[in-house]
Amino acid sequence: MDYREEIIDHYKNPRNFGEMEGADLSLTEANASCGDVIKIFLKIEGEKIEKMMWQGVGCAISTAAASMLSEKVVGMDRDEIVGLGLGGVTAMLGGEINAGRMKCATLAYNGLIKLLSTNE
Amino acid sequence: MKNISMIDIEKIRADFPILQKKIRGHDLIYLDSGATSQKPESVLRAMDNYYRTTNANIHRGVYELSVKSTQMVDEARGKVAEFIGAKPEEIIFTRNASEGMNLVMYSWGKEHISGADAVLVSKLEHHSNLVPWQELCRETGAELRIIDVDGEGKLIMTGGDEKVFEENNLKVRLGSFEKLVNQKVKLFAVTGASNVLGTMPDLKSMIGKIKKLSPGVAVLIDGAQMIPHMRIDVRKLGADWFAFSGHKMLGPSGIGVLWGKKEVLSKMKPFMFGGDMIGEVKLTGATWADLPSRFEAGTPDIAGIIGLGAAVDYLSELGMDNVRQYEKELIQYGLEKMKILEKEGLVTLYGPKDDEERGGALSFNVNGVHAHDAAQVLDSFGIAVRSGQHCAAPLVTSFGVIAMVRATFYIYNTKAEIDYLVSKIREVPKVFI
Repeated sequence: MDYREEIIDHYKNPRNFGEMEGADLSLTEANASCGDVIKIFLKIEGEKIEKMMWQGVGCAISTAAASMLSEKVVGMDRDEIVGLGLGGVTAMLGGEINAGRMKCATLAYNGLIKLLSTNE
Repeated sequence: MKNISMIDIEKIRADFPILQKKIRGHDLIYLDSGATSQKPESVLRAMDNYYRTTNANIHRGVYELSVKSTQMVDEARGKVAEFIGAKPEEIIFTRNASEGMNLVMYSWGKEHISGADAVLVSKLEHHSNLVPWQELCRETGAELRIIDVDGEGKLIMTGGDEKVFEENNLKVRLGSFEKLVNQKVKLFAVTGASNVLGTMPDLKSMIGKIKKLSPGVAVLIDGAQMIPHMRIDVRKLGADWFAFSGHKMLGPSGIGVLWGKKEVLSKMKPFMFGGDMIGEVKLTGATWADLPSRFEAGTPDIAGIIGLGAAVDYLSELGMDNVRQYEKELIQYGLEKMKILEKEGLVTLYGPKDDEERGGALSFNVNGVHAHDAAQVLDSFGIAVRSGQHCAAPLVTSFGVIAMVRATFYIYNTKAEIDYLVSKIREVPKVFI
């Protein structure tokens, strides 16, 4: 796996990074194998995500994945996000994630699913 | 080359088939023996031969193959015993070091630890020698005492403040060795060498002191990171139990050993029940077999035991003093090279600065780069290093980082591989700039 330019860009300039004032939902998700921790904040409009922000420390993959996801999920509802699946997350990152890094790649995604599921 | 050991490195490397492997066109530079070692041809052959020519269950039949299998297991047990200065009946085969520690917790701990007692461990422990004691203390109300580490990752022996806290029904006392030791301590469970920092606590002096201050204390050593690298004489250590895994010492995975003093083991109840561990069985109950069978319920990993015996043969032939000497030269060399990178501001090193006090683990971070990212870049050059929390989260995070990169060395590694590692560490930050 190469660190594609897009991943490095999101890693160095993470989008939607920071705390959200007055979030409708928030949750902290951790990766026990490496200690990465992410906090996700959501603003919900009806069924759909209006805005996602996030905070945390992590590797290039988990950071880029959270950053890209925060752009991708705007306007999506829970079913659409579930529909993305691991394949969708991998594709978003450029299609090639080695199995040893899947936990990094899916940290934000798993957190997001958990967060939306607690809202049911 | 100064006093290069009796180790013929080219000959050794030729014994390990996997070292011929290419990783994306690069030679494999395997620097994760702390997680598991590679296996020499003789170990692979011993297991393969066993399945091809001798396979039958042990202690079960009067026919030739079963008798032969039983003999082979007994022989391997004898080799392991001799390797660590023990009696064969003191060698309990387990799955791994973790199972050995759990065996002590279930069989001995649940009988002997109560709410008024304390269990002493160190902050260096692998989760496998920490979590069982957390659970036992939580269940019994005993206090878990943890010897803290200093900035170099060495155990703090005297002085300092104690920190006492209670969380999730667990009473914890954190402080220096001497402050924590008194008559309440009924068990001292400690690692012989840290899997993260390579720190090797002065076991002899600690065990001597604790036995004076708390007579009757039992001592369990997690020897998983010790036994692959140095001569062990369990009698001289003064411990009651010594647990280790086969797969870190050139043997196969799935087989480990708990050594226990005969006097201690013979008073312990089994914690797993089933075939081969019983004396007489009636519909209403059973008596227990003698040592070591009492602690080996069910069909064991026979091929694994035979493979471990072959690994012991391999190491014995090299001589453990030669192994230690060679690895000391490697770690010394690695530390020297890494210190240059540290001076340049490229990396941060963790662990004792003095190579006399450490085993072959070199933990570091490339400054500004997450451990997983650094390891991934190194992998792209064929270098296998571990990254993460190394099953020792409380230790790793006490250095103010969430993860570390770890390179660990064994007898098949070379100084040229260390040079290659260092040159590729220089490439890591470039990827992220």
